[in-house]
Amino acid sequence: MRFVSFRLATSVLATTALLLIATAPSQAQTRAETLRYVTGASVNTLDPNIPGSTRESFALSMSTYDRLVAFGRKQLNGKWVFDLDTITGELAESYDVSPDGLKITFRLRKDAKFQDGSPVTAEDVKWSLDRCVTAPILGKAQLLTGSLTSADQFKVIDPLTIEVTLPKPDKLALPNLATVYPMIINSKVAKEHATADDPWATAWLKEHTAGSGAYAVESFKPGEQVIIKRNEAWNRGSPGKPAYFKRVIVQSVPEPATRANLVERGDADLVLDLQASDVQSLEAKGKLKVISTPQYNAVTYVSMNNQIPPFDNVNVRRAIASALPYEDMFKAALFGRGAPLFGATWPDGKPANGIYPFQQPVKMDLDKAREYLKAAGLPEGFSTTFSFNVGQASTAEPMAALVKESLGKIGIKVDIQKLPDAQMSTQINEKKLPFFTEGIVAWLPSTDYFYRNFYTGTQRWNYSSINNPDLAAIAQEARFEPDKAKYEEAGRKLNAMHVDLMPQIMLWQPNQDAVMAPSIEGYTYEFHRQVDYRDVSRK
Amino acid sequence: MVTTGLGATMVRAGRRLLSSLPALFGVLVFTFLLMRVLPGDPAVFFASGPNAGKEEIEQIRKQMGLDKSVPEQLVFYLSDIGHGNLGRSMMTGQPVLKDLRERLPASLELTFTALLIALIAAVPLGVLAALRPGSIIDHGVRLFCALGVCVPTFVSGLLLIYVFYYLFGLAPDPTGRIDVFTSLPPQRTGFLSIDFLLAGDVEGWWAACRQLILPAVSMALFVIAPLARITRASMLVSLGSDFVRTARSVGLSWRKVVVTYALRNAILPVITIAGIVFSTMLGANVLVEKVFSWPGVASYALDALLSSDYAPVQGFVLLMASLFVLVNLVVDICYGIADPRVSIE
Repeated sequence: MRFVSFRLATSVLATTALLLIATAPSQAQTRAETLRYVTGASVNTLDPNIPGSTRESFALSMSTYDRLVAFGRKQLNGKWVFDLDTITGELAESYDVSPDGLKITFRLRKDAKFQDGSPVTAEDVKWSLDRCVTAPILGKAQLLTGSLTSADQFKVIDPLTIEVTLPKPDKLALPNLATVYPMIINSKVAKEHATADDPWATAWLKEHTAGSGAYAVESFKPGEQVIIKRNEAWNRGSPGKPAYFKRVIVQSVPEPATRANLVERGDADLVLDLQASDVQSLEAKGKLKVISTPQYNAVTYVSMNNQIPPFDNVNVRRAIASALPYEDMFKAALFGRGAPLFGATWPDGKPANGIYPFQQPVKMDLDKAREYLKAAGLPEGFSTTFSFNVGQASTAEPMAALVKESLGKIGIKVDIQKLPDAQMSTQINEKKLPFFTEGIVAWLPSTDYFYRNFYTGTQRWNYSSINNPDLAAIAQEARFEPDKAKYEEAGRKLNAMHVDLMPQIMLWQPNQDAVMAPSIEGYTYEFHRQVDYRDVSRK
Repeated sequence: MVTTGLGATMVRAGRRLLSSLPALFGVLVFTFLLMRVLPGDPAVFFASGPNAGKEEIEQIRKQMGLDKSVPEQLVFYLSDIGHGNLGRSMMTGQPVLKDLRERLPASLELTFTALLIALIAAVPLGVLAALRPGSIIDHGVRLFCALGVCVPTFVSGLLLIYVFYYLFGLAPDPTGRIDVFTSLPPQRTGFLSIDFLLAGDVEGWWAACRQLILPAVSMALFVIAPLARITRASMLVSLGSDFVRTARSVGLSWRKVVVTYALRNAILPVITIAGIVFSTMLGANVLVEKVFSWPGVASYALDALLSSDYAPVQGFVLLMASLFVLVNLVVDICYGIADPRVSIE
């Protein structure tokens, strides 16, 4: 009996040892060819068009699907960022814009195949774009900003040519086709899973992919991890080559300190959402590569509801703008990691250019703030609440304390209100918050786009609820302005109005801190603010 | 004799189960209403794409069934529950039932292990302390318990990670139940440590256990205190009682006196507390789950609550209520076994 168990034990040991020896080298090899990306968020759908999809889902779809075109990249202060002005073909081999700007013709690559091996045809492109503008999905609202609204605008010329017609020469039509939503789906496969209630197969595509992208989904555990493997036939990046990594693991690790530990120990290769304090200490240690890019298509605001008294009075808003301790807030909230949008000097009182977001000529000056309050008829100050959401507490909490302290000095009593994320979005949407901090991001950061989306209308994104017909008119007109000089002029006008009306105060553009193993190369800041797994490689 | 005793216990258990049904129903309706009363509109929250407008919000509202009146929603919800459908989570995009089924074993495995570690540590500690009250051992145990309770689980968790993973590299990376590079065994019970054994994969089993140790210990540290304290208190009572004095006076061995007579009589309150501790741990281990990226039900429910995702929260509360009923039932049965005189009607 004892003898038998001894034999059993030795054989188990021997097998284990053998297994270890056998698996060790191959595992080491796959590790080098695997990208392990950790994030606090998670992928919740394989189709980014589904309402409620997360940013991680957007990033994943960039790798699992191709679009007709893609953004190029450029260097901004020595860091790679996406370039809105260079649009290259992805599934399109080339494209032509007609001289009047009303027709865009795309010629598809002859060698492009879906992951099931069938060729990508103009029919698939039309079906996918039709889906984007007709089905009740997120793509609809996005493509609307590029004057793409109806299936009639997409015409198949021949199996490899498709023509897009525009009602007006819209500058944003082409960039819109490079965004997350108008991905090209294998229409034959998708149609097989369409039902009478769901003609665009949204339910099926939520959990399956049918694309031509650089990666195919190997396993998908919503809320935990997604593993994708390389599509060897994909060659849309560098000519003739597939993406670098054989496998990419996208793993959800909710605790930021754990994410920092993982990347520091070399168990994770890349992480974006660390706390500013962790990034700073990791950068100081110098073992890892830290690429900090100001999110140049995002802005953090202190917003005031222009319809709620006393913030309906322009002098109250100006008083607030003169009373915020900008420098201290910038240091306390972000550790100075970002691009400040305050403290500019405009010698002639005019904006330096027509680009939005811009550095505003505001600084802390309590005497001036008191004067503005007097002019507003509120020399004694008033009471209000300042709200932020729990999800942003790490940056917003220290900031709110400083706002409270500083405004207290000019007689404005501030109650700090910390709201759960869903509650905060609801209150913003219902325009009930008088005074709060929030951020925005624009995928297609052009001046008119910012002003049209964030300073007009009654939708949620008009945080300040500003309703100024002149501003709306200029922004609307600028949208279709083909002349660069005139567009610039309109931008300057809008920026001057912004400073004069002070509907809300731009604080800064926080950095995107990408922390990665020293061997990782090619990281680029993308419009969706996530990693494009196709960009990165290992040295 | 034995069969009638067992039969009586079963009858009692069945009666208990029936009487808990109204309570479960109450929990169901209450959670449903509570979620609707809470401020925060999930539709607005989930329609957060850069261009999501009124239309998208309406659409999500319709998708979640929020466009109907609350009583109507309740009727639909109850009929769905009757059909075994707990709704769909907006957050993960999956049916809640599927999410819970995948995540519950993770939570249970962690909680069971933690409770086991806690009991193995707490009962001897409590007995030792009771045998020498006022001694250095007693004070040592008290200090240890106080420390365990004072330090919140996420602090002890982070500390353990820092020491065993970050500094010494002894523990595997604290990212869930299994290393990402290990392939999973075929799912039978959902408990990884059991599934690996069933599949005969010793290496995998060891990997799963290594992942389990740190989170289980940080959870156990927190609950050792109540268990050890209650063991000590009831041991003291039992050691001072007449039957122990009699046993000692007739010259029974130390072991027989302490283990067979004193401990057996002192164990009832420990079982009660263990039952309560287990239920609390299962719901309250959210911090440990977050710190160790453990894909359990508690962190799932918290995420859902923060984003006002109704269906998962309701599903989670229902699950917890059912588990609570179940645990109480098990505790009742254990009572009967530990002390045949007990019959709670």
